[in-house]
Amino acid sequence: MTLTIENLRIAAAGAVLVRDVSLTLEPYRTVTILGETGSGKTLVAEAAMGTVAPELAVSGRIADGGEISDAADQGARRGAWGRRIAMLPQEPWVSLDPTMRSLAQVAEGHRFVRGLGPGPARRQARADLASLNLAAGDDRYPHQLSGGMAQRVAFASARAGGAPITLADEPTKGLDATMRDAVVALLRKAVEEGGSLLCITHDIAVAKALGGEIIVMLKGEIVERGDADTVLVAPSHPYTRRLVAAAPENWPTATATATASVPGDVVLEGTELAVSRNGRRLFSDLDLAVRAGEWIGVTGPSGCGKTTLGNVLLGLMPPASGRVRRRAGVASTRFQKLYQDPVATFSRHVSLRTALAETTARHRVSFDDVMTLLERLRVPVALLDRRPDQVSGGELQRVSLARVLVAKPIFLFADEPTSRLDPITQQETMDVMREVTRERGCGTLLVTHDRTMAERITERRITLGSDLA
Amino acid sequence: MGRLVAILGQRLVQAVTVAFVVSLLCFALAQLLPGDQALQIAQRRYGDDRVTTAAAEAVRAELGLERPLALQLIDWMGRTVSGDLGRSLVSGAPVWEEIRDQLGATLALAGAALGLALLLGPVFGALAGLRPGGLADRAGMAAAAAFRAVPNFVVGLLLMVGCTVLFGWLPVGDSRGWLSLLLPALTLGLGLAATSARIARDGVVAALRSPFFAFARMKGLSRAEAILRHVPRNAAVPLIAYLAVSFAFLIEGVVVVEEIFAWPGIGHALTHAIEGRDVPMIQGTALMLSLLLVLLNALTDLALLLVDPRRRA
Ligand SMILES: Nc1ncnc2c1ncn2[C@@H]1O[C@H](COP(=O)(O)OP(=O)(O)OP(=O)(O)O)[C@@H](O)[C@H]1O
Ligand SMILES: [Mg+2]
Repeated sequence: MTLTIENLRIAAAGAVLVRDVSLTLEPYRTVTILGETGSGKTLVAEAAMGTVAPELAVSGRIADGGEISDAADQGARRGAWGRRIAMLPQEPWVSLDPTMRSLAQVAEGHRFVRGLGPGPARRQARADLASLNLAAGDDRYPHQLSGGMAQRVAFASARAGGAPITLADEPTKGLDATMRDAVVALLRKAVEEGGSLLCITHDIAVAKALGGEIIVMLKGEIVERGDADTVLVAPSHPYTRRLVAAAPENWPTATATATASVPGDVVLEGTELAVSRNGRRLFSDLDLAVRAGEWIGVTGPSGCGKTTLGNVLLGLMPPASGRVRRRAGVASTRFQKLYQDPVATFSRHVSLRTALAETTARHRVSFDDVMTLLERLRVPVALLDRRPDQVSGGELQRVSLARVLVAKPIFLFADEPTSRLDPITQQETMDVMREVTRERGCGTLLVTHDRTMAERITERRITLGSDLA
Repeated sequence: MGRLVAILGQRLVQAVTVAFVVSLLCFALAQLLPGDQALQIAQRRYGDDRVTTAAAEAVRAELGLERPLALQLIDWMGRTVSGDLGRSLVSGAPVWEEIRDQLGATLALAGAALGLALLLGPVFGALAGLRPGGLADRAGMAAAAAFRAVPNFVVGLLLMVGCTVLFGWLPVGDSRGWLSLLLPALTLGLGLAATSARIARDGVVAALRSPFFAFARMKGLSRAEAILRHVPRNAAVPLIAYLAVSFAFLIEGVVVVEEIFAWPGIGHALTHAIEGRDVPMIQGTALMLSLLLVLLNALTDLALLLVDPRRRA
């Protein structure tokens, strides 16, 4: 059973977003799409599902097994959901029903999609979860699952309907190495069992581990395609060459590039901090002084309390013990936080321009300031007239970065600020962030799961989670 | 399980505290009312014209009103705690006997109002929420907004006028069985129904827009299957949480509505007790109403535990 997309073209009012994309998904095969942020990768996956936004014009042909449909006829794809195509959710944790146990969420697919009776559906679901080493998670509700467990429950429930094809859009973003490898193992397993996989990723290591065919996209077009061993080892298109070379391990180290980074006065200081969540001590005895213009990396396994540390430092939540001192006489709006999930921080109903105008008005700065920042971050100005759901993940992430920087923070807690960017854009964005924060004497805590990146661009690092072992 | 015990324990502590405070306030009230307490009690018992100083002294001695205040207070609280609410100053009958029937009437009224609210609110709310921006949504939410804006007593008066004009009888008291329950229950319940409709609607809309609903569709569930399995419980959470905070208004409404419709309940009795300065009756009725509030809150706590597993942690 193969799925073929032919001559896919997707256009907005003024621009062509995807042009002439064709690809074939076959049993036992993986296709991985790499490419620049905003190049149309997600749109290709959405076209396969039939979920492209209605304001966009789609054309092309989709042949799914014996069924051939016009890509414009998106309703025709509904019948494939869960039965022939399983779409892995972007955020597994919020994609599970908070009021339903794991087992029921998986059994649902067996029962309503494959038509098993309630008893057999539950038995099958139990077996699915056991095969993912999740037997213990059966009776748990989503809030009782760790990030990795939620990933696996979502994986099992997406595939319970028996779909041979799996679509995964950035399934590993923001995950630490252990969890990333676990997700890759899940995806490989689906392929080894005879399924086919379309995976979109910015992580070259993930693409390598998945193998199969690589498609590289740039500005809505495929610029290079071929076998993973060839494309990733000896890329032929100049863009692919830059992309592969831009992996964080190839970045110059901070000390080498730090231009005149004399750290200034302390902007924020935490002494003997201890933090608990749900009665569990996450870390204790943390002393931390952040100086103007300085970059400090915060690393540690998922769930070790990185985000919580940020909330404590910003005074959004009290520490279990210890104290936080922020520089006196500075408005609280100049201590800023960049959220991990950019989507959650934008109102769904207003254009990005309106959202940014509200921010500049609140901070009493001119709108030109934010325009300058967007330009430095290479965000096309045309995006501003769209709503947050009408731009790509990486575009929105940079808009939210500009929104935070325009407040002229003296302290910035940046939680995975480049998790949705391709390596080239990631490096450029980090450079811009560093320049801007140094110019303005902003002390920055960079939270990242990527130790290599932290080592490259921060002067010093703290690691959380040693208390957890 | 631990959570359940903790919550019930909390509510029990709340009940005791409330009872203590109400009792204390009523004692203070008895002291602060102008005039000689013993004389007034005697007047109530024997009639104004036949009261002599001797009768007043007899009452004083009988009730121990000549003892120091602190002693009287201890005595008073002790009796309240042991469930002895004393006798009505007006009728002379034990307070508990007086309010037992009234309690039944109030529970019937509050129950009917809540039942109506929970029948109308979520049904209209869900209808509106399933097609946000549709006709049902706009019409229903406009009606709900109107009902929320109008105070209880205005709704009550309108219903009374309407009823008199249409059917030629005025619903007061419990003269006509369940029919006469309907109007006060509607008066009390409509505002609550309107707000619950709004909250149910928003809950349904939020669930339909949630990533877990989208994911359920992607898993292959039809829209109807996905709605049935993932919307009701998730939309119920904010609704129950709202009910929990709205009960204080419900109890307040009981007093007003019982007065308008002369419904023979606790609220009605409270108003009369206040008018007659019948302190034991004030205490008895106020206690019942506050304990009713605590009970309703405990029930919503349990309901929330039932639908929202996040609260069980
Ligand atoms: N509804 C829409 N209206 C107009 N333009 C849109 C709409 N949705 C997406 N776009 C534009 O289409 C382009 C491709 O978007 P897409 O989400 O496919 O990018 P992507 O390759 O997945 O990027 P990322 O790596 O950042 O996720 C982007 O420039 C985006 O702004
Ligand atoms: Mg994307």
